[in-house]
Amino acid sequence: MKYYARRLTFYVITLWAAISLNFFIPRLMPGNAEDIFRAKMARKGELTPAMEKSIQLLFGSDDQSSLWDQYLRYWNNLLHGDLGTSITKFPAPVSELIGQALPWTIVLVGLATVLSFVIGISLGAWVGWRRGTWVDGVIPASTLLQSVPYFWLALILIAVFSVNLAWFPIIGGYDTFMFPDGPVPTWEFFSSAVYHGFLPALTIVLSSVGGWLLGMRNMMVSTLSEDYITTAEAKGLRPFRILTTYATRNAALPSLAGFSVSLGFVVAGSIVMEQVFTYPGVGKLMINAVQDKDFALMQGVFLVITVTVLAANFLMDLLYGFIDPRARHNG
Amino acid sequence: MIRSKGRKRLLTAVALASGLTLLATGCGSSGDDGDQGTASKGDGVLTVWAGSQTPIVANFNPYAPTVLHAALGGVYETLFYYNKASAEAPTPMLGESFEFNEDGTELTVKIREGVTWNDGKPFTAEDVVWSFSNETSKPEYLASAEVVDPTTVKLTFTGPQFTNEFALLGASWMVPQHVWKDVPDPVTFANEAPVGTGPYTVASTSDASYTMAANADYWGGAPAVEKVQYLGIDANTSAESLLKTGKVDWAGMFVADPDGLTADGRLGYINTPQDPTVLYTCANVEAGCAGAQTDVAVRQALNVAIDRGVINEKAFVGLAGEISPTFALLGRDDKWISPDVEKVSPQEANAAEAGKILEAAGYTKGGDGIYEKDGKKVELTLTSVEGWSDYNAAAELIAAQAKAAGIGVTASTVTWDEFSDSRQTGSFELIMGGVVGTSVADPFQIYRDWFSGEYTQPVGTQLESGEWNFSRYSNPTVDAAVNAAAATNDEAAKKDAYATIQTEITRDLPYIPLVINATQTFFDQKDFTGWPTEDNLYAFPPSWGSVSAGVVLSTIKPAE
Repeated sequence: MKYYARRLTFYVITLWAAISLNFFIPRLMPGNAEDIFRAKMARKGELTPAMEKSIQLLFGSDDQSSLWDQYLRYWNNLLHGDLGTSITKFPAPVSELIGQALPWTIVLVGLATVLSFVIGISLGAWVGWRRGTWVDGVIPASTLLQSVPYFWLALILIAVFSVNLAWFPIIGGYDTFMFPDGPVPTWEFFSSAVYHGFLPALTIVLSSVGGWLLGMRNMMVSTLSEDYITTAEAKGLRPFRILTTYATRNAALPSLAGFSVSLGFVVAGSIVMEQVFTYPGVGKLMINAVQDKDFALMQGVFLVITVTVLAANFLMDLLYGFIDPRARHNG
Repeated sequence: MIRSKGRKRLLTAVALASGLTLLATGCGSSGDDGDQGTASKGDGVLTVWAGSQTPIVANFNPYAPTVLHAALGGVYETLFYYNKASAEAPTPMLGESFEFNEDGTELTVKIREGVTWNDGKPFTAEDVVWSFSNETSKPEYLASAEVVDPTTVKLTFTGPQFTNEFALLGASWMVPQHVWKDVPDPVTFANEAPVGTGPYTVASTSDASYTMAANADYWGGAPAVEKVQYLGIDANTSAESLLKTGKVDWAGMFVADPDGLTADGRLGYINTPQDPTVLYTCANVEAGCAGAQTDVAVRQALNVAIDRGVINEKAFVGLAGEISPTFALLGRDDKWISPDVEKVSPQEANAAEAGKILEAAGYTKGGDGIYEKDGKKVELTLTSVEGWSDYNAAAELIAAQAKAAGIGVTASTVTWDEFSDSRQTGSFELIMGGVVGTSVADPFQIYRDWFSGEYTQPVGTQLESGEWNFSRYSNPTVDAAVNAAAATNDEAAKKDAYATIQTEITRDLPYIPLVINATQTFFDQKDFTGWPTEDNLYAFPPSWGSVSAGVVLSTIKPAE
């Protein structure tokens, strides 16, 4: 009980610190938001005098109140669920933008991460079990895929499968020609979304499975040298049972901890993936906000990421205590 | 723990089920989409990319900085259309004719009759007056706007405004008074169902695209293309792939190998170079500039040491145009170029001449091949924005060419923020950047905004909005000529004033001209006809042009 209470307090304090940092950091960044915005508009097309005026009006209402007042107002808005209005995607409220993008990110990137973890762990367990045979060749192949720059892999896959073979669509989270009004809750939309999500998910899985595989394989090799494995073999248990019930369960523990962290970062989206596939998601909100000094959007996205990572960590801490009795007693 | 036998069966069942589902949805969807090449987009729908990125937020407010492209030109129109790509007279749109008074302080405009807004109400002179005099759009120099009679509007100014003809007649959007007078805050108004006079209205918007439908009551006749869909695309490479596979019909973007896209004959291509690329130099010692480039001899030497032909070929893939040091656009603005100055910047490097210029100014070549004077070497820093690969490549080429002529130039890249900051405050030596090309066949705006001493600030102070003189150049002769040209509409007088300005700026070179940047447009000539081509450049072709895009949209037709 004390273990859980202590973890809870720790996380509450971390959450408060993270949210406060979230408030201060964008204000410490150099660069004038108004100039960047004006030049961005001028690059897109002609900048009429009326637009100039509205840019000035938009940014001119610069807060003259003290930092402390802004901070208190920030907390107040936060507790009311008001994350502010985005400047670059004017006049959409930040919560609406994030709310639209989050489901795509959570489903696609979350699913891809889970898949990549499961595949990586299972393959890694098998490769570790069969150490010394030809199966060891899988490792350099998967780490090669891991080290290949993600965007290069994505572009190659698009060039081959989308442009040349036309098996998959080139961009989008769903078919914009069939659904010009946006997402609708129909079976056709769902199947269109799955079809469009296949290639992005494939690229995420391909580029990250190598890491899990390698880690699991190494843990497996060291676990297999433990005494209880030898005992199990001596006692005549079937090899498959030893592999799954004894070796993998113990070897997977460190990977699980890493998995919880990466699960938390799922909400950060996959910036490069979203850029290359024009896939809706949180990552592109974040990168655009940072590049264009859109404070409200930046803070909103960072907040979501921070809270989710902390929540995932907290859950994993609890889970760890549950699945590994050693942590429960020593922690 | 599930018994191993049961677990095995469960695993197999799950694997089969998920595999089948994926297969079914994959096959099902591709069955619906049919042939990826042409279908999956409805026939007769023009698919456009104008530069929007996802997520698309519905904002059709012409006064908002984040307005979507189709609102400008597609929904809202101006009084006249000024063709950026040619020197012809402006085309009447909502205005039929206009006239300045003798000294340019009054402008009388006759407006077109029989025009209706897309909500059915008539377009009147009151709407025109409102469009000019409402708080958000009212220019500083406008004294009053009044209705003379139901088809005539008179604008009165505080001073001669000949040079603002384009801003008033070609860039001021006509908005309905009956809608906008009740809007509490015009800047934050999203205007999701815009009421305009243009050829299209908004049909639907989503986070990935928005669709426009033809306005059957358009004053110029209902447009032949029923639906136009604007997409949001995040990466240029994706847009290229979509053009190649026939999913996008009209886009204006930089493509290094246009032949690859036009090979199959579906896409037509046109390149209309517009905007100068130059080296900004901080040129004025009195304003606080420091560095070897403050000496005009160094700038002149650098100007002839650069090999523009090679730069165009290697950095701009041969797509850029030749530039004139007078900053008049070659071809379109030829009549304004004075015969006493160099018409085209030298396209080949001339290191020997550079050396001569420097030596005549008292420089001597040091042991390492770099010129120096009073113990100080001619060493300059040249920055360009990282990620702008054409500029980065050009900067490296310039560094090498300058070194061959005895000028030490070090090229480096900076973030966009640093670039903007350094040019705004004047804390730079050389920057590779662009100049905003003029929207009319007259270089006046460049002379006033970029060369006039009244449109700059001392080094260390940020330039104000509308001021573009980053070089801090201040020359009383130029300023006087600019003011003289502003006060008259007489062509001969303007030519005289420009000749004076051109003599000064081609000698002083506060901006060293490099090339004219390409503006490439790709359009589907197989499914649609009536596009602007080199023989018939009736409008500025790119999909992101504002008024010009509206003109193109109302002119094209589906092919028979």
